[in-house]
Amino acid sequence: MLASVATRPVFWHFVVWLKVVWYVLAVLSVFVLAYGVARPLVKYRHGGGGRLPPARELSGRLWGGLLLLLSHVTIGRRDVTAGWAHRAIFFGFIVLFAGTVILGFETDFTDPVFGWSYFHGSFYLVYKETLNVFGTVLILGVLAMMARRALARPAKLDYARPDRSPDEPQFDRHLYRVGDWVFVITLLVIALTGFLLEGIRIAMDSPGYGGTQFGGWLVAQALSGLPEATLAGLRHGLWWFHGLLALTFVASIPYTKAAHMLTSFLSLALRDPLAGKRLPAIPPELASEPAGYATLADFSQLHLLQLDACTKCGRCHEACPANATGRPLSPRDVILELREQSNAAMRGAGIGGVIGQLLDGTADGEGFTSTVIGEHGVRVETLWSCMQCNACVEICPVGIEQAPIINQLRRRLVEQRELDGNLQSTLEVIHKSGNSFGENKRKRGRWTAELEFEVPDARKAPVDVLWFVGDYASFDPRSQLVTRSLARLLHQAGVQFGILYEGERNAGNDVRRIGEEGLFESLAEANIKTISGCEFNRIVTSDPHSLNTLRNEYPQLGGSWPVMHHTGLLLELIESGRLLVPTRLGYRVTYHDPCHLGRFNHEYEAPRRILQRLGCTLVEMPRNRDNSFCCGAGGGRIWIPDKPDQERPSENRIREAVSLPDVDLFVVACPKDVTMYEDAIKTSGNAGRIELRELTELIEEALVPEPLLTAPA
Amino acid sequence: MKIVVPVKQVAALDDECELLGDGSGVDPDGLEWELNEWDTFSLEAALALREAAGEGEVVAITVGDEEAEEGLLSALAKGADRGLRIWDDELAGAAPDALAVARVLAAAVGRESPDLVLCGVQSSDAVNSATGVALAGHLGLAHVAVVKGLERDGSALTVERELEGGLVERLRVALPALLTIQTGINEPRYATLRAIKQARQKPLELQTLADLGLDGAQVASASGSRRRRLAPPDRGGGAEMLDGSIAEVAARIASLVKERLG
Amino acid sequence: MAGILVLAEARRGELREVSFELIGAALELKPYAGDRLVVALLDAGAPGHAAALAADGVDEVLTVTVPVAQFEAHVAGRALEALIEQEAPELVIAAHSIDALGFAPAVAASQGLGFASDVTGLGWDDGGPVAMRGAYGDKLIAEYDFPGKSCTLLLLRAGTFAAVDAGPGSAPARAVELELSELARTEHLGYEEVAEGDVDITKADFLLSIGRGIEEQDNIAQFKELAQRFGATLSVSRPLVDAGWMPGARQVGQSGKTVKPRVYLALGISGAVQHLAGMRTAETIIAVNTDPEAPIFSVAHYGAVVDMFELADELEQALG
Repeated sequence: MLASVATRPVFWHFVVWLKVVWYVLAVLSVFVLAYGVARPLVKYRHGGGGRLPPARELSGRLWGGLLLLLSHVTIGRRDVTAGWAHRAIFFGFIVLFAGTVILGFETDFTDPVFGWSYFHGSFYLVYKETLNVFGTVLILGVLAMMARRALARPAKLDYARPDRSPDEPQFDRHLYRVGDWVFVITLLVIALTGFLLEGIRIAMDSPGYGGTQFGGWLVAQALSGLPEATLAGLRHGLWWFHGLLALTFVASIPYTKAAHMLTSFLSLALRDPLAGKRLPAIPPELASEPAGYATLADFSQLHLLQLDACTKCGRCHEACPANATGRPLSPRDVILELREQSNAAMRGAGIGGVIGQLLDGTADGEGFTSTVIGEHGVRVETLWSCMQCNACVEICPVGIEQAPIINQLRRRLVEQRELDGNLQSTLEVIHKSGNSFGENKRKRGRWTAELEFEVPDARKAPVDVLWFVGDYASFDPRSQLVTRSLARLLHQAGVQFGILYEGERNAGNDVRRIGEEGLFESLAEANIKTISGCEFNRIVTSDPHSLNTLRNEYPQLGGSWPVMHHTGLLLELIESGRLLVPTRLGYRVTYHDPCHLGRFNHEYEAPRRILQRLGCTLVEMPRNRDNSFCCGAGGGRIWIPDKPDQERPSENRIREAVSLPDVDLFVVACPKDVTMYEDAIKTSGNAGRIELRELTELIEEALVPEPLLTAPA
Repeated sequence: MKIVVPVKQVAALDDECELLGDGSGVDPDGLEWELNEWDTFSLEAALALREAAGEGEVVAITVGDEEAEEGLLSALAKGADRGLRIWDDELAGAAPDALAVARVLAAAVGRESPDLVLCGVQSSDAVNSATGVALAGHLGLAHVAVVKGLERDGSALTVERELEGGLVERLRVALPALLTIQTGINEPRYATLRAIKQARQKPLELQTLADLGLDGAQVASASGSRRRRLAPPDRGGGAEMLDGSIAEVAARIASLVKERLG
Repeated sequence: MAGILVLAEARRGELREVSFELIGAALELKPYAGDRLVVALLDAGAPGHAAALAADGVDEVLTVTVPVAQFEAHVAGRALEALIEQEAPELVIAAHSIDALGFAPAVAASQGLGFASDVTGLGWDDGGPVAMRGAYGDKLIAEYDFPGKSCTLLLLRAGTFAAVDAGPGSAPARAVELELSELARTEHLGYEEVAEGDVDITKADFLLSIGRGIEEQDNIAQFKELAQRFGATLSVSRPLVDAGWMPGARQVGQSGKTVKPRVYLALGISGAVQHLAGMRTAETIIAVNTDPEAPIFSVAHYGAVVDMFELADELEQALG
């Protein structure tokens, strides 16, 4: 039985007043949605510095964000299942939503106004097919997510927070879990009732082109035995149920987990691409204001938005080395804590308040001007547990800047003198002597004394390579071995290099990450002045921390030069034949990507190619490259004593390395790693089992010719 | 309550400091300058008293050349309200001793009419342990030296005086008074570099002897001593230095200990 | 009148040892300074100590009975001024002690005396005293004289000069009456001993002592263990107590405990004067410090310029 044209009624057997009710409810829900969007906008307005990017850039950013979102690349990282399940839900929902809009557009606009309708014929059939496919996809995605949560139970979805103890009321966040389940179940019910409704219609109307509406067709088979009246009643009831549920869902988007659809997108589109690598300078107009964040009103508007963008996916929680070693910090929980505070701060403002603030642009509210830090807020020890390794920023699928937010909070703590005593004295020592060892600056070049050649002074004569050595490489006895090794290699390869001797100061990377902006600026300005007085082609450094700040942060202060890591230079020398590697080393090694070289500056391959050229067999640790596990020295933590019974991140990492089959050497490319891991190998009881080598030392070993074997007697 | 905190920028000799040939002094290039450690404690005590009272003024005063500006800026950055540096060519030539410095300080401090003067017990370079109490002598102020604990008690102070062998004496002294403060009494706060930069906006005055109504002759006559010579220390027999690798040194120490304990 | 006035010290009813060191030092200079040596004691029970202070070579013992039971700086200051007025000595010798530091500089300032503190060597030149003391924290030695001063007040470092035996000798004692009432400006509230804690380091035969070289609090654990392995008691220098890392009961030094163990092994201690005061009489002192100029080497019997952490590692291996 063929109907004349393929179509379906929109409002089946609706009395006029019912239609009116429907439209009234629809309009109401739009208002609720609008209010829900306005409220956080007012909230974000409370924020201080950092405006949106300028208009011409803005569209580019939004477009870029959209493309990134559609590709789902960030959502699939380190969790392929979640990536696909989310694609299913995302595209399923979008298509279904678009479907409703397309239909509504005809029913409410084009048809009554222009008499133009398109909801029939082949358009209709394609429409129906598409919606069936994507409806199914949506259901599959939702089911996958539910299975993941209920059956697989990944650790990162455990919402228990490390910054509270189990007996404290805010500890396990079960309300969030409930909210999450309500969300997925609602989506599922909306999709299922959609199919149900379609099925009932097909069962009642028997339109005859069931193949294209396979979902509804299946349902119709199941319901075919039911009497007409029952079906009609069900149809009416389900229509309203489905409709109201959908209206409620859409209206409630800004108020529930669904809000991430808006906030996460904006966060991803507007994030700072250099977040964490290049921390923001204090703008001149704030020069006499206290530094950093203490209250919500100090936060930038973007950061306030980002607090609402977190979907609790747990990837940062999983990646964080502080959390992994039992310290009271999880980036996720810092963001959620701040979000809760920002919502609490808005609680006072009623509807009138919100509209008023929206219209006249004022922002007030006590909650925004009281400190976010405290026993019941973000705890001081939480903030000082951070190693500023950027694992959280790097992995967040929605671009939240957890580590920079922590850094801003630290800036205020430093100013208010709420910092560990050891950290305070280290800062004082750096200020006084320009290095963290408290050594007289004249001793900076002493490591060169044992070399058989003179290392030129880059301040006095032009050089090709200006080698910025760094504190640890200059002063720490174990690291000095590496530094001398590198000097010998460069000398052998005929590289024209020089160092700054006592003109060099601590580059300031870690000082900035501790939050002492003023000291960072003063160190950077001094270094920039010294370097600017030299003639050279490029800067090479053996210290990734110095690399990061020299390359990414010094340009802000007027010092912009090409900066390279020594592994890059060494690879260049090997590949060009200026360094010949005659001996092939047969070691089985694993390589630890330093945070500031790898994750921060995306340099993973040069050290690996070198290891390959040396003939070593590289066995990767499970957490490698962007997922490398911080040694625990960053963010000033190398100067803060650990509690004796707590596992250190470096010990955790060594355990990861020795769990690999038969690995001889733990290879590093950073002086702080040398210190941390030499120590961790001992303290984790692995002293006989694995040895540490810095990459330079391996290269030098490969260059030393094997002794000639004497013939057996 | 007005608290005056005299501070000193002290010189630390680095390892390779050279003695001038005639024994008249050390090569200034080998000197590193910083705020006297004891003065960070006395300054912190002053700031804490002012914070506890909710009102008051803390004034940092120093006798020194431009190197001493930094110490004053650090004091201002930490919270002192005003800074005063006293210097004069007469002082530059004279190398004033503790009593002479005390005389100069007395002129400046006297004009401030403070309720309390907090000095450090000693400076790490001269280690006279005398300037504070000498200042009290010039001003006729009640004084207690080597204070390791301090509490305000209305218009008096309850203090703990640190004696030899770990003994502590508790005393009460009425204001106005002068105390010399010992290390460890509190935790001196950190001055961020931004605060130090901003501290330049705070009042920092430079005064000469004439501004204080003094002249070089008065200061010279107030002096208690004259340094004739500087020489490297006579190490006497000195220690028998153990050489060799660390393992060898360790073995030697272990056997020495065993031998001596019998 | 010229001559030397020695200011002896007592606390809580007992004469302090340093008094006899001061007399010893004064005796060396007596021939140059008008050949007269007078010892004075300001104390509530001064007359009772007169006999002991009448050592060989002392010409007279002056006792001033002060009207306050405990040491009071302003009373002592006025008493000293009066004595100087009466006796007109050329040289006044007192101890570089907490009590003397509490009033002597004020007296020197207000009376325009010659003055030097923490004196470690004495001489006489050109008709006046010459004092040697450390400079730049004992890294160098400085020599001072006192031109134009009719009276010079010197505070001598305790434990530096040889002590004489106590009297009684032939010196007569004289009670000096001074008007000292109503001069006290501090009120004594009481004494507090330092908390004993779990250990009495003065009783230990072998002390392993750590100082600023330890750098961080969590490095202490390693040395606690080492001390245990070695059979030593752990003691510390002042900075570790100031920082709150160790209890005061373990502090060796002028304001801590004075110890005289058979073996004192100092790791990462530079040897500030106040610390040396507390341990220099130990029988065998072994000092380890990365700074070859550290003052501790001047009192140590054995020394090594090595890193204390590396040494600790090796010692742990050597001890098995």
